[in-house]
Parts: sequence; C-alpha cells; structure tokens
Amino acid sequence: MKNLYRPIDGVIEHIKKETPAITTYRFRPKEPLTFEAGQFVELTVPGAGEAPFTPSSNPNVKDTLEVTIMRVGTVTAALETMKVGDTVGLRGPYGKGYDLKSFAGKEILIVGGGVGLAPLRSLILALFDEIDKYKKISIRYGARTPDDIVYKDLLPQWAKMKNTEVQLTIDAPHPDWKGTVGVITVLLENTPFDMKTAAAFVCGPPIMLKFVNIKLLEKGWDPNHIYHSMERNMSCGLGKCGHCMMGEYYVCKDGPVLTAAQVAKFEDPF
Amino acid sequence: MNEAFVGRENLARLIERWSKDRRVFVPVTFDIMNHEETPDYEAVRDSVPEKLKLHGAAPATTPKSFLFYAREVVATYPGAKADAAVEAPPTVLVGPRACDLAALRKYDKVYWSTKHFTEEYDDPFYIDKRERTFIVSLDCSAAKETCFCTKVGGRPYPENGFDLNLSPVEGGFIVTVGSPKGESLLAGADGLLAPVSAGHREERERNRRSVTEAVNRQNAKFEMDGPPDKYDLEASAEAWAAVTQNCVGCGACNRACPSCTCFLLVDQPTKTANERTRVWDTCLSVGYARTGGGGNSRPTLPQRLENRLRCKFEYSRDRYGLVTCTGCGRCIDVCMGRIDMREAIRSVLTEKAKA
Repeated sequence: MKNLYRPIDGVIEHIKKETPAITTYRFRPKEPLTFEAGQFVELTVPGAGEAPFTPSSNPNVKDTLEVTIMRVGTVTAALETMKVGDTVGLRGPYGKGYDLKSFAGKEILIVGGGVGLAPLRSLILALFDEIDKYKKISIRYGARTPDDIVYKDLLPQWAKMKNTEVQLTIDAPHPDWKGTVGVITVLLENTPFDMKTAAAFVCGPPIMLKFVNIKLLEKGWDPNHIYHSMERNMSCGLGKCGHCMMGEYYVCKDGPVLTAAQVAKFEDPF
Repeated sequence: MNEAFVGRENLARLIERWSKDRRVFVPVTFDIMNHEETPDYEAVRDSVPEKLKLHGAAPATTPKSFLFYAREVVATYPGAKADAAVEAPPTVLVGPRACDLAALRKYDKVYWSTKHFTEEYDDPFYIDKRERTFIVSLDCSAAKETCFCTKVGGRPYPENGFDLNLSPVEGGFIVTVGSPKGESLLAGADGLLAPVSAGHREERERNRRSVTEAVNRQNAKFEMDGPPDKYDLEASAEAWAAVTQNCVGCGACNRACPSCTCFLLVDQPTKTANERTRVWDTCLSVGYARTGGGGNSRPTLPQRLENRLRCKFEYSRDRYGLVTCTGCGRCIDVCMGRIDMREAIRSVLTEKAKA
C-alpha cells in the first residue's frame, strides 16, 4: 500500500535570492509531481523536517516546480544552507486547487503582502496562460520596504500584460521610494470592480488577511468570492495529524484557501 | 454459531491456544501505585497470567496503543520506497470495552478513510495492524467512578465492532461472534464450548442492566442538557478560563484518550539516511498550532482545552458524524489538575444558559 509519509526525491536546480530573507528555489522531482494553482506541497529538508509551501511557479509547467521561501524557522534556515544539485524531499500536492473555469469572464483582484505574493504567483501565471478569458486582473502588493519586494524583475513585466494592472505600496516612507506609502489597505480604497461577481485572492501575514477581509466586506464584496490563504500548521497534508484544524475544517484538505464566507463563523479566524 | 458458553478454565485454554501463533494481550491487575482496581494489558507467554482480570471496567491502555503505535518510523529517505513495507504480527487483544470500540470508529474513519469515510488517504501502518488484530471485547461488570458512557450515547457493553465479545456469567462467559475473524478464533475449539442456557442469557441481561443503572446513577449530578450530539460548547472566554484553571497543559488526557488521533512527524538524521518518525501529539501543547514565524491560532491554554473538548463533540460530529467522547473517563483518571470533563462540560453549558 502507498506510503503517505514518503517524500519523493527532488533535486535543487536553481536558486535565486529575491530579498535578503526570501529565496526562490527550483526543484526537479525524480517522480511526477504536478499541482493545480491553490494546492500546496510538503517540502522536506533532509534530517531537519518538513514544512508546507504553495509553489510559486506556473502549474502548467509539469517537470519542475518553484517555491519562494522566507527564512523564519528551523526548516527554512536549514534549506538556506543547501546548494544547487542537493536533494530535498517533496510530498503532495495537497489541498484543493482553484476552480479557474469559474472565474472566466470575471474581474480578478489579487492582494499580496510580503512573501505572500509567492503562492499568488502560481495563480497569476496560470491566469496569464489564458488571459483572454478574464475581464481584468488587478495585482495589489505591499511590502515593508523597497528591499522586501519580491519578484522585482517580474512585476514590471506583469504590468504590461493585457487587461492587467499592478499597484505597489510600502509600509513606511523610504528615500528610494517614489510610489504609494502605507499598509496594503491603502491600495484597496479605489476598487472599481463589480463587487457581486469579482473574485479576490488574498495571501499575506494573518494581520493583513484580517484587515483586507474587513475592508473588502465593508466595500460590499461577496464573501463567497474572497479567497484567503490560511496560515495554519499543515503538517501531514492528509487531513489526519490535526495540527491545522480549525473547527471541523482541516485546512490542509478543505483549504489551504478558505473563503471569507467559510471563516465568517470564527471569532478570529486569522 | 452466533454465541456459546465458555467456562473460566476453558477460556484460559482458548487464550493459550491463540497465543501459539499470535501475540495475545490480556488485562491483568498490577499492584503498583493506586492502580489495583484498574487492570492493564500483559502479553500471554506460555500460560494465562495469574492476575488475569476480566471483570470490572476498562483497562488503562486503549486499543490505539496496539493499532497506532505511540512512536513508529514511517519513512526513511532519500530514496524512500513507494510502498510501506509493513507486516504487523497477528495479535489478539482481549479486554477492550464498548467505550474503546466506539473510539475505534473514529480511528477507522481517519486512518482507513476509503472504506469508512469519504476521503482518499489510507494509512498503511494503521490498516495493516487493524487487519491483523483480533478484538475480543468484554461487557463491563462494574463501573469505575469516572465512567460516563451512558451520558454520551454509549452502553457499558459492546453491541458491535468486535470480533468476539465476552459477557461474564456464573462460572464463565457467553462468547458472542461478531465477525468472520471472530469465527476463525473459535475454529476447532468446539470441545471448549458449550451451549448457552436461558439462565446465562438472563444473567447477562441482568448484569448489563445493573451496570447501565450504576453508570446513570453516578452521573446524575452532571446534568448535561440535551443529547451530546447537539452540544454547542461555544462559550465566553471567561467560561473556558474557569474550566482551565487547574490545567497545566501536560496532554495526559490526549494520550489516555481512546479517540485522540493526532500525531506529529519528526525528522532526524541517522548514520546512513534520515528517518521520519510519527509520534502521538497533544493539542494542549503550545506548539501544536504554531506556524513558521511564530504565529499561533491557539496561543492560550483555555483556547486549547476548548478546542479539545469541542473537537470531541462538535467538530467530530460535523466532520465524521460521530461524537468521539466515549465516556471512558480515562482523561479524568489521569488529570493531575483533577479536571473532570463531565463537570467542565456541565459548567460551560450552564454558563451559556445563563448568558
């Protein structure tokens, strides 16, 4: 019987420093491992442990996957010591993917904070692959300082895509920054969307999810169309170990993305 | 044959016969600490242990210890094998009670999901042990003071979920067959069995009634309004803080609980590779819900105890269609803060009624 806990080997093929604390790794799995936008994988750093990450690469690329990772704990710190050619472990994909077909013909708002743009990148790239299907794609991204902005080289390219706009903000004034200043919600003041049908995808630190959720609901956004990437300890990915439980939900199986409507019953879901 | 009578001596012979080519565990009395009254499992070597105890209430250890080890290596990597190479020794577990069997319903749903639930991930380590383990359950012939199965929809005697069940009667037991596996345990044992008399059956019913009444009687003071599958334990932070006052977060209740299924995966380097070990985990520990970067959705102990109790009633009901508190009382037995879950639930429900 298939061993659920077995990581398959994956070779680090490329490493790119995004910011001092954030790095993008490209892995080539030795056995097939493909995912849909919205799903996540468990990444094993040999001997150090395992942690969940949503790939940041295009899900339509099948032979490799990329993950953009911020150094925050033991697993991510151990990963930073690894080099191109080293072997990591991969399990997955887990969780539910987005039903991209259901967004056809609609306006799409993407709200990211810090390294939270990484999981959204796989969605953005999947949307770009069929860009004619969507009415509008608006990417609103906030980072603490100009140095903390990820995908600095990609953002200008994204802004040039058809029907696509990119808006950026940083938390506090900075001598090198000419653009908008303020936390991410300042980019949500002006949202000329059809709130009843548009879809919003939100990923970032829990405090950001909380205030973006409040803001979008205030503006009359349909809670069934606000998709939050939940920050939970998804350890097994199988709906068994219990660490990501949120009431009767296992975030690893029912998520990792839950809608504002699904989390409405929790006093402080983020 | 659906049921038969087996005399006390013949049961010992039967158990010894099982032990020839299987591991057999039976409940015995241990004269240590204050545990004279609570039996626990011991392996049968050549003959049935002298201190065999088949009467009274449930053994201290729950069946999960035999089906889902407290610690088990689940993968060795890199180069891990696609299939789990597992083959547990055939095992006979004599002694689980109705509360234990009720808890196995949750285990089956979580770890044998394609057969017992609607999800796709089957755990090979659990299924292998479950398939190779024979459950020989027992009617409770007495209740310990922390037993409350009848408060949570249970009975102090098994009605299903066993391979064989033993009901104590004068001079021996009525043995009831619950599955083909159980039937196979009795193959060739006709000489040890006798027909069940009407008197035996009456005695079994009398015993079952009297233990049920005893459990009801000793729990009358824990008035929990309404059926347990309708509990709504969402209450004020103050109500849960009051319940948690004596909790130190040790997690003994999780480990003693027959229906706690949570685990932690621990990776460690070995001399030649890396090992992934699965260990039981406790939702009362502060690190349980902690995420990378230090976020924590349940940073306080009252939030964690609330999560544990609501998991047993509301969350399990909503996800698995089961109330997974089986009223075995073990969490009360092991709590060093002397928290009584019955009293905790009663007080939360009472606070809510007032609010």
